[in-house]
Amino acid sequence: MKSLLRSSFLAALTLGVLAAPAFAAKDVVFAVASTFTTTDPYDANDTLSQAMAKSFYEGLYGFDKDMKMIPVLAESYEVSKDGLVYTIKLKKGIKFHDGTDFRADAVKANLDRVTNPDNHLKRYGLYNNNIAKTEAVDDYTARITLKTPFSPFINQLAHPSTVMISPAALKQHGNKDIAFHPVGTGPFKFVEWKQTDYLKVAKFDGYWQKGLPKVDTITWKPVVDNNSRAALMQTGEAHFTFPVPYEQAEVLKARPELEVVAAPSIVLRYLSMNTQKKPFDNPKVRQAIAYAINKDALAKVAFSGYAAPAEGVAPPGVEYAVKIGVWPYDVAKAKQLMSEAGFPNGFETELWSAYNHSTAQKVTQFLQQQLQQIGIKTKITLLEAGQRVEKVESWQDPATAPVRLYYVGWSTSTGEADWALRPLLYGESWPPKLFNTAYYKNDKVDADIKGAQLTTNSSEKARLYKDAQETIYKDAPWAPLVTERLLSAHNKKLTGVYVIPDASFNFTEIDLK
Amino acid sequence: MLQYLAKRLLGLIPTLVLVGALVFLFVHLLPGDPARLAAGPDANAETVALVRQDLGLDKSLPEQFLRFSTGALRGDFGRSLRTKRPVSTEIAERFWPTFWLTVASMAWSVAIGMTIGVLSAVWRNRWPDRVGMTLAVSGISFPAFALGMLLMQIFSVQLGWLPTVGADTWRHYILPSLTLGAAVAAIMARFTRSSFVEILHEDYVRTARAKGLAEPVVIIKHGLRNALIPVVTMMGLQFGFLLGGSIVVEVVFNWPGMGRLLVDAVDMRDYPVIQGLVLLFSLEFILINLIVDVLYAVINPTIRYR
Repeated sequence: MKSLLRSSFLAALTLGVLAAPAFAAKDVVFAVASTFTTTDPYDANDTLSQAMAKSFYEGLYGFDKDMKMIPVLAESYEVSKDGLVYTIKLKKGIKFHDGTDFRADAVKANLDRVTNPDNHLKRYGLYNNNIAKTEAVDDYTARITLKTPFSPFINQLAHPSTVMISPAALKQHGNKDIAFHPVGTGPFKFVEWKQTDYLKVAKFDGYWQKGLPKVDTITWKPVVDNNSRAALMQTGEAHFTFPVPYEQAEVLKARPELEVVAAPSIVLRYLSMNTQKKPFDNPKVRQAIAYAINKDALAKVAFSGYAAPAEGVAPPGVEYAVKIGVWPYDVAKAKQLMSEAGFPNGFETELWSAYNHSTAQKVTQFLQQQLQQIGIKTKITLLEAGQRVEKVESWQDPATAPVRLYYVGWSTSTGEADWALRPLLYGESWPPKLFNTAYYKNDKVDADIKGAQLTTNSSEKARLYKDAQETIYKDAPWAPLVTERLLSAHNKKLTGVYVIPDASFNFTEIDLK
Repeated sequence: MLQYLAKRLLGLIPTLVLVGALVFLFVHLLPGDPARLAAGPDANAETVALVRQDLGLDKSLPEQFLRFSTGALRGDFGRSLRTKRPVSTEIAERFWPTFWLTVASMAWSVAIGMTIGVLSAVWRNRWPDRVGMTLAVSGISFPAFALGMLLMQIFSVQLGWLPTVGADTWRHYILPSLTLGAAVAAIMARFTRSSFVEILHEDYVRTARAKGLAEPVVIIKHGLRNALIPVVTMMGLQFGFLLGGSIVVEVVFNWPGMGRLLVDAVDMRDYPVIQGLVLLFSLEFILINLIVDVLYAVINPTIRYR
């Protein structure tokens, strides 16, 4: 038995030597960092699942590789004067994978589905807040009526969660099971989802953009471990991977067949300060903290240079974001402000991080050291996801909120200033409602954000958002730190796959040489 | 014997009930609101409430426990909060990859571990012993994730002989089972050695030698069989541990098994899945212990159960 085992093991080794991995011409493999939660973008809350769903789903609007909004299934739209009624003209001659035509009834079916609370979709709140009703005016015209004017509405339609699912398939599979049988208009048809292993999609021959897609299949492979993902790229078992950890970037760069890309992102990292609590209720203290941090050094130390110092409260790339400039690093000025505020010898406080990964660890240690320069002694706690939810995000009573200094980040997934400012800095967005962890409230900022939602005039909107961002910047409820760069790697044979600034992917033009 | 088995199987029930109650309580004591976590970073309070209701988390704790235990009796462990599929399906899908990986690593590690152990004992304090025990100590000390990455780097990336991740063909089993089995082989070797050294000093071994039996017969027939009892106990324990799904090895090799499922579940506060898994692990341990007890009787016929 023993020798049998051993000889079969040896045989295994020898056979392993003979059979090297081989791939057919146009089968692409993507190695991604986590398991997909669902294929239904209306029920997904993670960027990755929504990015994957772009294989088979498309929306009325979408983002190109630079996060510029473009019409996809829609031809054009018009807004009524009062900003309440959106009339959307649809493209003609588009077919779903099940052979049915894409028409206005699909728009109605999808939006009615998500705004119906009985369907229990995770994105229900986002749509039900503003959509009053959806109608199909004729086959190729849809009309959406809002409850209150909401100027970033088209951006919401461009978000990767607003996709068009075939109404026939929805009817056939039902609200829950559609997640296991996705049918859309996208370049690829769903083939198979082995939850533990991979999700596979294949070329849709009837795709409306002629000549696309250029590859036969894409296999989405969730590989949790960073090093294993890197290994997969080196052996050629995967053609594209995201994210690449900083420490692996150099290893992958050294391989001649691979290319490592650092793309700009709309992920802003900042240090929020609880403005309702002493001593952070004093703007001078907050400004002093912002002055005390060397953002350049932070980007180099904690992010291995794959980040840029933040230049405002909304990251560049977000529509209506204003570039105000990097908050200068000036310890003398910081000390002076601390004295003026009555803390010449500093104070002690808590510094929490919303994440417990190694980058967050480096960031908080760096911040701790920087703040020590002006006498602020901090106690670091890296919150695990459950603790974060308990102590910060769902804390019920603002008066007792334990959060003080809080290192966190935000990705403005709609690509528009409203979603960069309203959830984080609007007076009514304090936890547990949304994520204003600074408990910041400024009537002028609130009026700007509200006003910008109501107006349909683009230049007026730009003016309001500019005013809001400049006011916030001066008030410093946060010390803006860095905007991250998104590190991905692909085989040089693969073209047309981009990581777009919201960390989603764009791969309509994908090709393999 | 049959009566004994039936008695032991009945004895399982109170243990499992106790484990079930403890698991339910522990899981609900974890910090963090699963509805908030499940709803995701963009969700507002209204959506969180909807998710909470959807998951049945708005009910009181006793009510939830009642639902959990009546469901468990019918084999229904609820639905995963993350994927919304039944927990039993989730676990069943992951069970076999972990099981086969466990069997593969146990098979070679027991074979190699026992060989090294016997050789070390027979040539005690001579070079086979020293080489064997050096290997064993290294096997225990080398962390599994480092060994896994090292093996992957050498055999997959540098040499290109073996696939890196996944569990599709038998070739995928080689590296993970080596990684997983290294520590077990080392433990088996040390256990076999110490047990064997003791046996070799027994009177009946001297008697066997005295009556002129060949040394291999003495060692294999009289020694090995008697030395097996503690080794089998250890084997059972290790089997139970491995069957729980090695978190480290499954993450490194992206093995679609229960270890990864557990990590994902804990991360997302997927209560039903955590409960299901821990219950399954307890059941596995109890069953393995039972099998080990039965094996004692097979190895040593003087042991009898009533």
